[in-house]
Amino acid sequence: MFDMALRSLNLPGVGTKYEFETDKGDTVAIFFTKTGAIQMYTLQKGCKTPSAAEMSPVEARRLGNILTGAIIEADQESVEIAFSALADLRITIHTIFVTAAVVGKTIEELQIRAKTGATVIAVCRHDRNIINPPPAFVFEEGDAALVIGESDQIRTFENEIMVK
Amino acid sequence: MESLIVALFVCLILALVTKYLSIPAIPFYILAGVLLGKAGGGLLTNNDVSQFFSEMGLIFLLFFMGLGLKPERIASNRAAVLTSGIIDLNVNMIIGFASAYLLGFSFTESLIIAAAFYISSTAMALTSLIENRKLMLRESDTVIWLMVFEDLVLILFLAILSAGNQNLIIFFVKIIAVLGVLYALAHYGKEFLVSILDRDDELPILFTFAAVLTTASFSMYLGVPETMMVIALGVAFATTDPDAFEQHARPFKDVFLVVFFVFFGVTVDFSGGANWFVIGAISLLAVASKLISGLLTGIFIHGSALSGLEIWANTIARGEFSIALAVLYGSPVVSTTIAAMVIVTSIVGSFMAKYSGILRRGIVSRNRHKASQRRIH
Repeated sequence: MFDMALRSLNLPGVGTKYEFETDKGDTVAIFFTKTGAIQMYTLQKGCKTPSAAEMSPVEARRLGNILTGAIIEADQESVEIAFSALADLRITIHTIFVTAAVVGKTIEELQIRAKTGATVIAVCRHDRNIINPPPAFVFEEGDAALVIGESDQIRTFENEIMVK
Repeated sequence: MESLIVALFVCLILALVTKYLSIPAIPFYILAGVLLGKAGGGLLTNNDVSQFFSEMGLIFLLFFMGLGLKPERIASNRAAVLTSGIIDLNVNMIIGFASAYLLGFSFTESLIIAAAFYISSTAMALTSLIENRKLMLRESDTVIWLMVFEDLVLILFLAILSAGNQNLIIFFVKIIAVLGVLYALAHYGKEFLVSILDRDDELPILFTFAAVLTTASFSMYLGVPETMMVIALGVAFATTDPDAFEQHARPFKDVFLVVFFVFFGVTVDFSGGANWFVIGAISLLAVASKLISGLLTGIFIHGSALSGLEIWANTIARGEFSIALAVLYGSPVVSTTIAAMVIVTSIVGSFMAKYSGILRRGIVSRNRHKASQRRIH
């Protein structure tokens, strides 16, 4: 399904270039430079000077999330992915720092799934990620939990489990 | 040792300031060497340690250049690369040689100056394209490939200049044999190389350093200069995992090269009998001559003189390779001339590269203005 006009090119000493022209005649070019920065250029049809934005890899991924249709709530680290093929299924993935209410308790004890319907799919502890924590997993202070569910379920999770 | 520490400390400050102002650091490293060296009271002096560091800087610079040359890359869009490369080579070599010769340099000296005059700084050109956000301009592709072409010509220069009294044919056969052996090693040892590079302990970096130094040291036995040996190693390693090698060689290159620039500055002596007229003339001609080659390239490749202006702006700066030529083959007078040329062109170049957009727009709007005035009459 990629546009036929998408071109990727290796530029010696600079990095990799991706360029494509939209149906309306605008051009978008992305450069992954060797310095690690990612530059995005857009050139409006009929215009001579492109405009550019330089991004860090993290910022570029964020932009990527937005462009793939996921909605990122500006105030929280949360990504909503919409699957338009599956009756517009919308799944939210949300990161949340654990509160005092859950520190020292296990996932099983808190009955997270039974009470809210949301699932803890990963926990970030001291810059290490624990994927699929088991029911006996004990939360510690400073943990960041990655919770997946529908937006209502996430809200319930925030209000009932992670009480401040 | 103290000299080295002073040099590193000064460079650290210069690097911070130039990065903050986003201007090229190379001319300031050289200037620091000039000011703290012979010309400025002799705070810095060349010694065995700095000599060794400088040599490492040159070796790693050339190894890096070799890594960037992937044979299959050069095969693409050959016609445009060739046209722009040949224009650039001819215009700048001829102007460089003629002006040096007419200003009183000997034949060999003029040849070295012409080569240094011709070769733009790849590092500064590419940094300027990225930092000034020009990568999407069609002229950028031309500039990037021009740098690759210049690198290839430089290798040829280095080969010819370093052949000395040897029979050229035997000399080239030797180089090709070395390249063949290194290629074979890289090809048959690829899995081993990649397995080393993939490790996250000290092994990849140790291996890279040792490989470069060992290869360089073999030059003694083969009669092939170090420069050729490490370029060949780079080209051979580029067939395995060039990005990993770049990553592991970069720390060495970055530190050693800075020392190389400073202590090149130390050897330069502007005070003792430097002919300012000659130095000034060569420096200005270096700026002008790239304007001619840039305009011709713009007209031939992009059908526009304005494009030529953009190409010019990004290729004015001479840098690391010109200095390498000066260090390897230049007499003191030649080195001083090249040093001045690098300082002048890199400062003018960084300025032009930053403001080329304004310059182009200015010319376009002035032309429009003129055209509209003509219509009124």
